[in-house]
Amino acid sequence: MALRMRIRPLDIIIILVSMGIVAASAIWAYGPKSGDAKVVIKAQGGEWIYPLSTDREIKVPGPLGETLVGIHNKTVRIEDSPCPNKTCVAAGAISEAGQWIACLPNQVLVRVEGGAEDAGIDASVY
Amino acid sequence: MPESTPQFTKAVKRASAADVTALLGAFCFFLSALEYMVPKPLPFMRLGIANLPILLATDLLPLPWFLALALVKVVGMSVISGSLFSYIAVFSLAGTLTAALTMRGGRKLFGRHISAVGISILGAMVSNAVQIVIASVLVFGEAARLIAPPFLIMGLVTGTLLGLFAEAFAKKSLWCASAKALLGKTGKVHA
Repeated sequence: MALRMRIRPLDIIIILVSMGIVAASAIWAYGPKSGDAKVVIKAQGGEWIYPLSTDREIKVPGPLGETLVGIHNKTVRIEDSPCPNKTCVAAGAISEAGQWIACLPNQVLVRVEGGAEDAGIDASVY
Repeated sequence: MPESTPQFTKAVKRASAADVTALLGAFCFFLSALEYMVPKPLPFMRLGIANLPILLATDLLPLPWFLALALVKVVGMSVISGSLFSYIAVFSLAGTLTAALTMRGGRKLFGRHISAVGISILGAMVSNAVQIVIASVLVFGEAARLIAPPFLIMGLVTGTLLGLFAEAFAKKSLWCASAKALLGKTGKVHA
C-alpha cells in the first residue's frame, strides 16, 4: 500500500500565510524596541518626537520662554529653562524608556520611549 | 427494525457517531496525559497532540458530536493538568472551541482543496492567537505581544507535524475508513 501524501496548494498558501503572521508578530514584539529609543517632548505647542541616537539641541517654546533640551550621547537632559528654581535642569540626564523630566513652570515634559524597556532590573530573588 | 430502511440507517449513524465520539474522546484524555508528561520550555506551551482526535473528527463526526468531542477534550485536558477550576481552563476552552470551529469551517469552505495539514495549521494558529489575546486581557496586558512569536512558531511547527500525521493516518487507517462508511461520509474507502 503506497502512502502518498497529498499536500494541496491551499496547504502551501496556509503555511506561507502563517509564516507571514509569525514574522509579523516577531517584528511587532521585538522590532522597534531594539535600541530605537525615542525622545518625546510635550509642550504647550504640541508633541515632538526625536531619535535618542542623534545628537541635537532643541528649543521648546513655553509660556515663560524657551526651554533648551539637549540630546547627547544617547541621553537627554534639559540644559536650560526660564523657570525660577531650575529643578528640571537639576534632574540631570535620562536615557531609559519610561524615564521623564518635567519643567512644570514652562509646561515642558520630556520622556524616553521604546528601546530596551527591561534593561534595568529592579529586583531579583533566588 | 428491518435493515435498509431509512430509520435503520439513521439509527446506525447515530449509534456510530456516539461510538466514534466516545472513542476519540478517550484518546483526547490519553493524549492529554502524554502531553502533560512532556517537559515544556514555557508554561502554557503545548504540543497540541490532544487535538489529534479533533483533527480526525473534522472529517468524521456530525457537528453536534464534533463540538461535544471538543468539550470532552477541554475537560480531559483540564482534569489531567489539574486546571479545571482555574482561569487556565478559560484558555483551553476558548482556544479549543475556536480552533475546532475554524477547522470545521476550513473543511467546509475549501473541501478537497485542503488537506489535514492545512486544517491543522489553521486550528493551531487560531488557537494560539485566541489564547494570546486572552492572555493580554486577563494576565499580561500589552506585554502579551512578547510571548506571541514563540507561541505562534511552536503552533505552526507542531500544527504541521500533527497535520502530516493525521493525513497519513486517515489515508491508511482501516478504522477511519470504516468509521467514515458507517457515518455515511462520502469519502472513498481505502481498504
